[in-house]
Amino acid sequence: MQEFLQLVLSGIATGGIYASLALALVLIYNAMGLVNFAQGEMAMLATFVGYALITRGMSFWIAFPVTLVLAFGGGIVIQRVVIKPVEKAPVLTLVIITLGLATLVNGLAGFIWGYLPRTFPSPFSSDSVDLGGVFVSYRDVGVIAVTGVVLLCVYLLLQHTTVGLTLRAAAHHPEASRLLGVHVSWMLALGWGLASAVGAVSGMMVAPVLFLEPNMMQTIIIYAFAAAVLGGIESPLGAVVGGLIVGVTINLAGAYLPGVGGDLQLAVGLAIIIVVLILKPNGLFGQAAVRRV
Amino acid sequence: MTALLELEEVHAGYGPTSVLHGVSLSVPEGGVVSLLGANGAGKTTTLRAITGGVRWTGDIRFAGRSLRRMPTEEIVRRGIAHVPEGRGICTELTVDENLKLGSHLRRDGPEVRKDYDRVFEYFPVLKERRRLSASTLSGGEQQMLAVARALLMRPRLMLLDEPSLGLAPMVVRSIFEIIRTINQTSNVAVLLVEQNARIALEMSSSAYVLEVGRVAVHGAGSELQDNESVRRSYLGY
Ligand SMILES: Nc1ncnc2c1ncn2[C@@H]1O[C@H](COP(=O)(O)OP(=O)(O)O)[C@@H](O)[C@H]1O
Ligand SMILES: [Mg+2]
Repeated sequence: MQEFLQLVLSGIATGGIYASLALALVLIYNAMGLVNFAQGEMAMLATFVGYALITRGMSFWIAFPVTLVLAFGGGIVIQRVVIKPVEKAPVLTLVIITLGLATLVNGLAGFIWGYLPRTFPSPFSSDSVDLGGVFVSYRDVGVIAVTGVVLLCVYLLLQHTTVGLTLRAAAHHPEASRLLGVHVSWMLALGWGLASAVGAVSGMMVAPVLFLEPNMMQTIIIYAFAAAVLGGIESPLGAVVGGLIVGVTINLAGAYLPGVGGDLQLAVGLAIIIVVLILKPNGLFGQAAVRRV
Repeated sequence: MTALLELEEVHAGYGPTSVLHGVSLSVPEGGVVSLLGANGAGKTTTLRAITGGVRWTGDIRFAGRSLRRMPTEEIVRRGIAHVPEGRGICTELTVDENLKLGSHLRRDGPEVRKDYDRVFEYFPVLKERRRLSASTLSGGEQQMLAVARALLMRPRLMLLDEPSLGLAPMVVRSIFEIIRTINQTSNVAVLLVEQNARIALEMSSSAYVLEVGRVAVHGAGSELQDNESVRRSYLGY
């Protein structure tokens, strides 16, 4: 039982990381009806930027918000420079552009920092605290706290501010929103900035566990896809719940199902995507069908 | 009366298809003007041209300023509320959130609150359903929401695209009653696109009939109502 609780808790911590990246995918899906295949690579690049700040002597807790702000700006720039000129193009073109962007960002990081894995300093102590027999690592608690606060901030922004309201309106009803005086194009850019910043959280949180290198996010993005699809690709809340479910499921499957630990874990992520798409294509919280992926 | 909105020889279309072939019309400050005509005549396109939804040539002036090359967001910020064909309700949002989109640019807090009171007095059903998703509203209620939201923008001109479409006669009556009240109490000018010519002419000071992208008939509302040949050939009653 104690082992089970421990696995659940560390599953929630990894789930928070998947949830952040999944939320980033959902934000952009809502803004342009399309999954941004470069989301993981953008998060990786932001993490390298954070790494560069930290290795230049900045403390993690200053580098973290600075990185998020830079990622936010970077997301806006990418939308303005790369996406906006082709926003009316057919879906397939846009898919190829985000795939191209992924390759480009990956190559850029490789060019600047190389492909040797680097250790990324963890902001949390690796000790555990004993809560009545359940050993909880400070790292798990810290990751849960950080992702929890970030996700809560995004929720408050989207649901309880005027900017959030116009952002949601612009994403779902661009024509009607324009007639209400909403600067739709800027709202879409804002959506990219927000997604990029939230994605960067997942990179900064996962880097201390994995090693930092340009391909670091390539498995994480599969789990994030699984989380987003499970939650309903249009639902921010679904992305978060989906992320937690995927995190816990994979942790438990790895421990209790023979042979699933290690390499086969990724297969669990893919299995979730396929099963959801077959049984419940709208996901847990989705209303509209998955139209374009 | 000075014209609030003026269209001069406006040509517009969609890509290679041209739809408007030189439409001229004007809406006076505080007036109600109907734009009538058969399906496909170009009424919706005319409204879209005014708020920058289609490319056009000629000239469109609002409050003495040309709207040429002005993006939609800027045009509506100058005081034009456009209730589009299909109502433009954000069905993912609640009734309250839809209303808030109408008032989100305003900085005159106390006046905004007064306008909310007025809106809920006109449409009590919206107050009851404030917290519900707009997708749960009936067609008539959605039309009320669209008009209410336009009112909250505190515009100088409202463009209404077939507010009666698909609604029961009773509901149509009450919505038109309120549009008339809004026009009279707040001095909001209205450009009303309608298939239902009879009810539109009743409240209009003047009217234009479009026929394949051109103004075929223009006159005072009562004139068109009383002219049997106009009624027969263009208005279908
Ligand atoms: N988005 C569009 N793309 C191409 N043609 C259009 C579009 N919308 C309308 N049209 C055409 O323009 C003409 C006028 O349409 P519209 O302005 O909607 O007429 P009305 O509102 O008077 O019924 C019609 O022939 C219609 O087929
Ligand atoms: Mg029409």
